[in-house]
Amino acid sequence: MKMTNKTSSYQKIKTRLFWVIVILVLWEIVAQSGIFPAAIFPSLLVIARALENSIVSGEILLQTAFSLALILQGFLISLLAAILVSSLAAGNKMFNGLVDTLAAIAHPLPGIALLPLIIVWFGTGTTSILVIIVHSVIWPMILNIMTGFKAISPIYKEAGLNFGLNRFQIIKDILIPASLPYVLSGIRIGWARAWRALISAEMIFGAVGLKGGLGWYIFKQRVFMDTPGMFAGIFVIVLIGIIVEDYVFAAFEERTVKKWGMI
Amino acid sequence: MGNDLKQQEENLIDRTVIICLKSVSKYYRRSQETLRVLDHIDLDIYQGEILALLGPSGCGKTTLLRQIAGFDHRESGSLLMDGHEVVQPEVKRIMIFQDFNQLFPWKTVIQNVVYPLQVNRVGESDTANREIALEYLKLVELTGFEDSYPHQLSGGMKQKAAMARALALKPKVLLMDEPFGSLDALTRIALQNLLLKVWQETGVTIIFVTHDIQEAVILSDRIAVMGRETAGIKKVIPNLLDRPRVVGEAGYSEIYGHVYSLMDINPTK
Ligand SMILES: Nc1ncnc2c1ncn2[C@@H]1O[C@H](COP(=O)(O)OP(=O)(O)OP(=O)(O)O)[C@@H](O)[C@H]1O
Ligand SMILES: [Mg+2]
Repeated sequence: MKMTNKTSSYQKIKTRLFWVIVILVLWEIVAQSGIFPAAIFPSLLVIARALENSIVSGEILLQTAFSLALILQGFLISLLAAILVSSLAAGNKMFNGLVDTLAAIAHPLPGIALLPLIIVWFGTGTTSILVIIVHSVIWPMILNIMTGFKAISPIYKEAGLNFGLNRFQIIKDILIPASLPYVLSGIRIGWARAWRALISAEMIFGAVGLKGGLGWYIFKQRVFMDTPGMFAGIFVIVLIGIIVEDYVFAAFEERTVKKWGMI
Repeated sequence: MGNDLKQQEENLIDRTVIICLKSVSKYYRRSQETLRVLDHIDLDIYQGEILALLGPSGCGKTTLLRQIAGFDHRESGSLLMDGHEVVQPEVKRIMIFQDFNQLFPWKTVIQNVVYPLQVNRVGESDTANREIALEYLKLVELTGFEDSYPHQLSGGMKQKAAMARALALKPKVLLMDEPFGSLDALTRIALQNLLLKVWQETGVTIIFVTHDIQEAVILSDRIAVMGRETAGIKKVIPNLLDRPRVVGEAGYSEIYGHVYSLMDINPTK
């Protein structure tokens, strides 16, 4: 079992690497061929140099740290709030109806659509960005967790009641672990949405002082027509996405629901 | 021998009633009609006995067992345990389901047993609870699988673990809903023998739902036969065969035949 698991993940990395290399090679061929001007389609080397420069100057690290701090805050607030709201909804029919209705209204609403309103309410500081992140993340998270709670086999709850668990213990020790596969997919969707919301908001809000985040960093390069700099910023976003997916989410999944045979 | 039987029967009558059902009714309402699954059921359950609830599929065995467990609301009647009305599930009556997936998949076997002990503060420390859990896993012959996750166990092993988890809480009554119903014949016999061993060692009262006449005869002290038309218990048959019981031994076929004749098995229809 362990062996095949290891070999299959090794296999996965190998195919990943293969296609990444193919894409990079194609990119370089197109860039070198001169079909497009270098200012629009820079070669990999130029992009790498731009990345190196912004790392050495510390600029991209600063902006990345700023963005990561914001997204983590927004994400944690959303996760805790979503668990709390879903748990309350699981215990109360009236409240369940309310949450259901609110989610139906708010879920299809893109965070960016709310942006003007949020600026009026909260200004153009980090609070507004947090509000947009929370809005983007919390609804899919709530919907997923509530679906997960509903999908739980009633036997687990009944066994829990039989063992004398109180409401809080039922939620903490039965509902949440039993719906973890759903919680996890909620977290994945939430994470992707949080990134989008964050980068768009940063582009629109601009920098407060020096810090504007990765979104602002990319947007700023436009002023100087610094295409390699834009790609450097995009590269960092992609890299973070892959690291979070493969090393955080996938690793967590491996240690929980996969180990428990729940998926 | 005849005297012996009579003596045993009197002993049975003398025994203390642990659970007493008086005129218990449970209906399910459907769009048009009301389904009277349990209609004014009277039943006494004696301390320390194994009572088999036997009947065809859909006759209301699970419904009755869930009533005794305290999971469902009832239309009318009273259900007393030690003189107290049963209104909710309690640790002194533990249910074991037919479904193999009743262990918590996110806990190892031993964690599954330890967790209810912690919740109920059975042992004084986590180490004490672990000791208790190990002892009961040994009782059900699961030593060596403490750290396995439920999905790594066979169906029979899962049911054993569920038994250990229930017994570790020292319930007065074990409610078992066709726990061996989905097992192959050999494993089922092994688990029946294990259950009898555990019963003899712990003295727990067992209400055992089954639709298998042989299983009822091998295990139980009394067999409550439920019928589909009667919406309740047709007859309670005492089963005083000597233990250990073997299929086909003296007395077995009489009692089997008696139960069979009550089961409305009508080949012409
Ligand atoms: N929640 C429910 N709602 C409506 N009807 C129900 C419900 N649960 C059970 N019933 C009905 O009550 C009757 C008795 O069901 P029950 O599950 O107690 O039967 P059973 O004797 O345990 O059968 P089996 O041997 O198949 O498990 C059946 O006709 C069933 O359709
Ligand atoms: Mg049933």
